[in-house]
Amino acid sequence: MLEIKGFTKYYGDLCAVEDLSFRIEEGEFVTLLGPSGCGKSTTLHSIAGLVEPTEGQILLRGKDVTDLPPEKRNIGMAFQSTALFPHMTARENIAYGLKMHGYSTADIADRVEDSLELVDMLNHGDHRPSELSGGQQQRVSLARALAYEPDILLLDEPLTGLDRVLREEMRGWLHRVQREVGVTTLYVTHDQEDALSMSDKVVVLNDGRAQQIDSPEAIYETPTSPFVAEFVGKSTQFAGEVTHEDGRAVVHNDSKAITLPNDATHGAGEIVSVYVRPEDTDVSTEPTGATNEFLGTVVDIANLGNRAEMSIELVDGTTALAHTARFPDIDIEQEVFIRFEAGQVIVL
Amino acid sequence: MSVERSGLSGLTHAVGEGLEGHVSNRHLALFGAGFVGLFFILPILLLVPESLHLDSATPFESYRRAMDGIYVNTFVRSFLFGIITTIMTLVLAYLLSYYLAFATDRVRIAMTMIIVPLWIAYIVRYFGILLFLSPAGPFADLTGIEPGLLFTTPAVIIGLANVYLPFAVLPLYNSLNAIDEELIDASRVLGANKRWTIAKVIFPLSLPGLVAAGLIVFILAAGSFLGPAVLGGPQQTMIANVIAQAFLANFNIQFASALAIVYTVLLVGLLLVFNAVFSLQEVLKNI
Repeated sequence: MLEIKGFTKYYGDLCAVEDLSFRIEEGEFVTLLGPSGCGKSTTLHSIAGLVEPTEGQILLRGKDVTDLPPEKRNIGMAFQSTALFPHMTARENIAYGLKMHGYSTADIADRVEDSLELVDMLNHGDHRPSELSGGQQQRVSLARALAYEPDILLLDEPLTGLDRVLREEMRGWLHRVQREVGVTTLYVTHDQEDALSMSDKVVVLNDGRAQQIDSPEAIYETPTSPFVAEFVGKSTQFAGEVTHEDGRAVVHNDSKAITLPNDATHGAGEIVSVYVRPEDTDVSTEPTGATNEFLGTVVDIANLGNRAEMSIELVDGTTALAHTARFPDIDIEQEVFIRFEAGQVIVL
Repeated sequence: MSVERSGLSGLTHAVGEGLEGHVSNRHLALFGAGFVGLFFILPILLLVPESLHLDSATPFESYRRAMDGIYVNTFVRSFLFGIITTIMTLVLAYLLSYYLAFATDRVRIAMTMIIVPLWIAYIVRYFGILLFLSPAGPFADLTGIEPGLLFTTPAVIIGLANVYLPFAVLPLYNSLNAIDEELIDASRVLGANKRWTIAKVIFPLSLPGLVAAGLIVFILAAGSFLGPAVLGGPQQTMIANVIAQAFLANFNIQFASALAIVYTVLLVGLLLVFNAVFSLQEVLKNI
C-alpha cells in the first residue's frame, strides 16, 4: 500500500532521517513513534509531498510518488495545529478538499454532510474554527481529511494539544472512526500510549533511524534495543557482565546478581543491560528467598489512581520502580524486598 | 529599602518610585488625549469660524467659491490620484510582501531597505525622482529616450507610490507573515495547486492587511502636497497645494480654511462609508 524505501533527508549538513524503510499494508494503522526531533514529522511530511527527500523512494499503491507535488497524491492529512482554514466554516473546510478533487456540487453537499455525521459534528457545520473547541476542531480536521476518500490518512500528532481526559476519549474515538472507514493510516506521535493503544504496527524512530518495527506487544515486551526499552514504558535498568553459574546466565551488577531467563543466549563476559518493568515486580517487607530478590529503602510512593508506583533505592544506589496495590501497607523510608522472576527480565 | 542603581536605570527607577501611586493609567491616557485635543482637534475646529465671513452679508462666500469648477476639479483629482496611487502601491507592496513572507530568509535586511527611505526627507526623495526623470537625467542617459514623464500625472503617481510603498508593506507583510504555514500545507494536501492556494487561502487571509494598507496609502496620497508640487505641473495640482497657495501665497485664510474644512468633511465621510463596508476596528488591528 505505502512503501518507503531508503528514505533519507538532510537539512544542509544536518541529517533528519537516515535510510528509513518500512511498509504499510492496506487498512493498517501504523505509528511512527519517537522523541521530538527524531525525524518522524519529516518522514510524514515527505509522504505528503511537503518535504522533498534527499534520497529514497515513496511508493503509494505501487506508484512512485516521490516527485509528485502534494496535490497530485490523494492523501488525507490532519495536522497538530488542525490547520483548519479560519476564514471558512466547518462545512466549507470539508468542501474545499472535495472541490479540489473534482467532485460535483451535488456530491460535495452529500459528502460534507456524511463527513460531518461521521465525526459527530452535524450541529456545528456552520461554525468557524474559532467557535469550536480543540477537540471539535480535530474532529472537523479529520472529517476534512477523510471526505474525499484518500489512499492514506496521515495524522501529525493530532492529539498533542488536548488535555489528558479529552486525549484519551479522542484516542478511542479516532481508532473507532479509522476502523469504521477502514482507511490505511500513518500516525505520528511522541506519546507511547497513543502508539501502543491504537496501532497494528509501530515504527520506533530515534535520531532519524528506525530502532524497531514491530507490533505494539513486541515493542513493549521484547524491545530489541536499549533505546526502545527505555523509551517505551517504564523500567528499571541494570547493567553488568554475564557469567554462567549452575547452567544459568547471571548478570553481576555491583553487589547484585540477577538471574536471566532460561532462554538467554548471552555468552560469559558479555556486557549487557537488563530491564525490569515495574508491573513485573513484587514487593514485601520480609524476604522470601526467591531468586532476583534485593533489599532496598522506599524513597517515594506515587499514587497513580488504580495502583501505586514505588521508588525503591537499592543498597548499591540504583533506584528501582515497582507497581503495587493502590494503598500499600508500606511507608516511605521503610526497608523492603523487591523481586522479579527471571523469565520477566529483558536482556539487551 | 531600594537597591542602589547607577546611571540611567537609577534615574528611571527613582522617577518611577516617585510617580508610583500618584499617577494612574487614566492620568497617562489624559496626557495623550490632551495633546491630541489641544494641537489637533482644537486647531481644526478653529478653522470653522475662520472660514466664515461672520460680519458680512454672505457668511458662506468662501464655501460658495470652493464649489467653483476649478476647485471641484482639484478635489476630484486629489481623490482620483489617491485611488490610482493606492491601487498601484497595493499591487507593488503585495508582491514585495509576499516575497518577504514566503520566499526569503533575509527578511531583516529587506525590511531595513524598505524602512530606511522613510528616514530620508520626502523632499529629497521627490527631488531624486525629479532629477532621475528629467530629460537631462540618468534615465535619459541610460535609455537614450528623453522621458516626457516629468510634470505629468504618471510622474506624480510614480512619486507618490514610491514614497508610500513602505506604509503599505508593513501591514501587508504582517498579515501575510501571520498566516500559519500549515494552512498552506493543508491546502496543497487537500488537492489545491499553488495558484488555488493563493486565491483561496492566502489572499483571503491577507485581506485585512490589504484593506489597512489601502486605507493608509489612500489618506496619505490624497492629502499629498510635496509630490504634485515637485513632480507635477499645473494640471496635477492637488487639494493640499491649493490650500497651501491660498494660505501662504495669497494670505486668504478664510478661503484656505473653507477648503480645508470641505476636504476634512469629505475625507471623514469617505471613512464612514469605508467603515460601513469593512469595519475600521478590524482594519486597525492590522496596522
